[in-house]
Amino acid sequence: MDKQQRLKNWQEKTEQSMNRFPERKERFHTSSDIEIKRLYGAEEEHYPMDSLGLPGEFPYTRGSQSTMYRARFWTMRQYAGFGSAEETNKRFRYLLDQGQTGLSVAFDLPTQIGYDSDHSMARGEVGKVGVAIDSLEDMEALLKDIPLDRVSTSMTINAPASVLLAMYIAVAEKQGIGADKLSGTIQNDILKEYIARGTYIFPPKPSMRLITDIFSYCQKHVPKWNTISISGYHIREAGANAAQELAFTIANGLAYVDAALHAGMDIDDFAPRLAFFFNAHNQFFEEVAKFRAARRMWAKLMKEEYGAKNPKSWQLRFHTQTGGSTLTAQQPDNNIVRVTTQALSAVLGGTQSLHTNSRDEALALPTEDSARIALRTQQILAHETGVADTVDPLAGSYYVEHLTDELERKANEYIEKINQMGGAVSAVEQGYMQREIHHTSYETQKKIENGQEIIVGMNKFTIENEPQPELLRVDPALGEKQKEKLHALKSRRDQNRVSAQLETLRTAAKGQENLMPIIVECVKSYCTIGEICGVLREEFGEYTGV
Amino acid sequence: MNKTIRVLIAKPGLDGHDRGALVISQALRDYGMEVIYTGLRQTPEQIAAAAVQEDVDAIGLSCLSGAHNELFPEVMRLLQEKGATDIIVVGGGVIPWEDIPFLESKGIQKVFTPGTPTIETAKFIEKAVLTRDGMKKAAEVAPERIDHIGIAVESLDSTLPFYVNVLGLTLEAIEEVPSQKVKVAFIKIGETRLELLEALSSESPIAQFIEKRGQGVHHVALGVTNIQERIDDMKANGIKMIHDAAVPGAGGAAVAFIHPSSTHKVLFELCEKTKKEEA
Repeated sequence: MDKQQRLKNWQEKTEQSMNRFPERKERFHTSSDIEIKRLYGAEEEHYPMDSLGLPGEFPYTRGSQSTMYRARFWTMRQYAGFGSAEETNKRFRYLLDQGQTGLSVAFDLPTQIGYDSDHSMARGEVGKVGVAIDSLEDMEALLKDIPLDRVSTSMTINAPASVLLAMYIAVAEKQGIGADKLSGTIQNDILKEYIARGTYIFPPKPSMRLITDIFSYCQKHVPKWNTISISGYHIREAGANAAQELAFTIANGLAYVDAALHAGMDIDDFAPRLAFFFNAHNQFFEEVAKFRAARRMWAKLMKEEYGAKNPKSWQLRFHTQTGGSTLTAQQPDNNIVRVTTQALSAVLGGTQSLHTNSRDEALALPTEDSARIALRTQQILAHETGVADTVDPLAGSYYVEHLTDELERKANEYIEKINQMGGAVSAVEQGYMQREIHHTSYETQKKIENGQEIIVGMNKFTIENEPQPELLRVDPALGEKQKEKLHALKSRRDQNRVSAQLETLRTAAKGQENLMPIIVECVKSYCTIGEICGVLREEFGEYTGV
Repeated sequence: MNKTIRVLIAKPGLDGHDRGALVISQALRDYGMEVIYTGLRQTPEQIAAAAVQEDVDAIGLSCLSGAHNELFPEVMRLLQEKGATDIIVVGGGVIPWEDIPFLESKGIQKVFTPGTPTIETAKFIEKAVLTRDGMKKAAEVAPERIDHIGIAVESLDSTLPFYVNVLGLTLEAIEEVPSQKVKVAFIKIGETRLELLEALSSESPIAQFIEKRGQGVHHVALGVTNIQERIDDMKANGIKMIHDAAVPGAGGAAVAFIHPSSTHKVLFELCEKTKKEEA
């Protein structure tokens, strides 16, 4: 199709869609009353239509929607959770009152690794990095008075994702809300756990089965749920560079696609619900380019390599979090500035949702003050700077387009290597990504130590006798309280029903059937996460690292 | 002196963030230590057992989940139970400053907060282990400078004009040192001094020196810290000392002479100036 014709079609289609999704303002303009157009550059004679496309169209380099933030800002989604379910519920309601538009739940490590709070491995960890959830009872307290049909909830949960999703569905049912009305995301990305984050339970094969079971269950019962958030974030935090983050994330994504196809699903049945999660790091233009390259790479792969027909299968939608490991313990207020430029790169890269880190996260969990400044940072970008008033404003910059092309090229080289190793699962089993990341991370550390890389306030521009900021403390008695709560539940619940459900789960785990409906029944019977994962540990075994 | 230090880097608790643990493992290896990394999710029992079994000199505990206040002291308790109290234990991760005194009171020797250069950790472990083993690193026990050169003269009055008028150096002070029965003139030259020594009586070592060998260079004084430890080091290495304990020298210094029979015939003085003097 002729370029001008394609642009004309796009304009018509966009105008039509605006009847349903109007833009934020009738007219956008700068302080000097210069009109801000929706899109720049596409009308030019030499516009590279093939590599950039148009916003909301293949290959999505310029964004996954046609009007982007002129219609609606990105979702401001701050990751939160600590201590007890009741405390976290209070923080959630505070954040919603402050104008946050989506929830994001952090779970404590015992929950993430499928141990109850009274397990010996849980010692010292209960409620520390997130909320402690042992049973449906805790989930009910966590989501109390939050209208689950009106908020979207993201849950950072991987190995036991089925269990937490099942609990969410069960709480909604008690609130009278059907599963088909629920929207949200579970992280559910086990491969990056093996590579970078470490909260795995089972070996790769049964883990991949749990994931594809979720894909197929949600397609039928929870259609608005993002069934996985394929995460480069933690890969970057572990020390990867931008190209490695991009490459390994997409390689992992392809492994999930392959697993679902292998399980007999059709690509267009699950690909539209795949979501991604990237890091926004320090090097501003490279980060913007990374987000743009990611969209283009995924679109080409899905359409051209996997033959997906539904445009929604081609679209890479992603959440972004600013880079936690870029924050310094020294002069923590400087982190506000780092977070601001990182967040700006995510916005200019077209993120669908964003978490901005709090200034004190190199020291502890954020205090309420710090969490508010982090949210305000996003609100300032959205409402004061005007960066959201036109689509993909950095497109056409010689530099940004070059970086976008180069990151795609470098990432494709890694992906090619991973394909030769038999795909991401086998590359992980061979420790390939882990080694590559460690190498980069060690080189970075050396550069920081010999002063080739400057970290302001840490290896340059330091001050003596820094004042020590107020930090958030998690109640040390929480572990005991959570244990008591768990024991009370265990003595109250219908033990026969619990045992029967767990036996059903065991039998199913030995076979091939979808485990998701059985896990939903288990949580409704108040089986604990430790009991459910315990049965699966016995049947599937445990992963012990490379 | 060529002992290879063995270190166990351990991840207690459940957090999977091992970027720091991996980086520090590699940095310690590059520094020349032998490093064993436990991998993720180690219980305090597993860590203490591994440390004893591997016969390590030091343990580095890394925790980013906030569980350090429970897990680190538990490792210490178990080490004590196993009689392995000689193992040096350090910690790192996301640890608030206010927790550090508590952890140190439980026997953690040092907590390294985010942003610590890896070399600092390596040097700390090395020093702690060598100190424990009674071996001090050469660089730390080595004399730091030439404090002064002692020159035996028959008469200060007749010698000083050469130094002051001809060479143009500055006379700092003239002082009597009763313990050595000498009168001393200090002449500053750069960071060091020339010390002209005139005997006050015929029993003075200077008088005996001049009688035997004539005027001339008498001794070289090496500036050191912790002079008593240095004297002990010398003796431990079979060096004969004239002074087994430091004696008061000129300029408020503590001094001790090494016997020339142990130094190939050069008379060396160990000399420690007090902090105030140096400032």
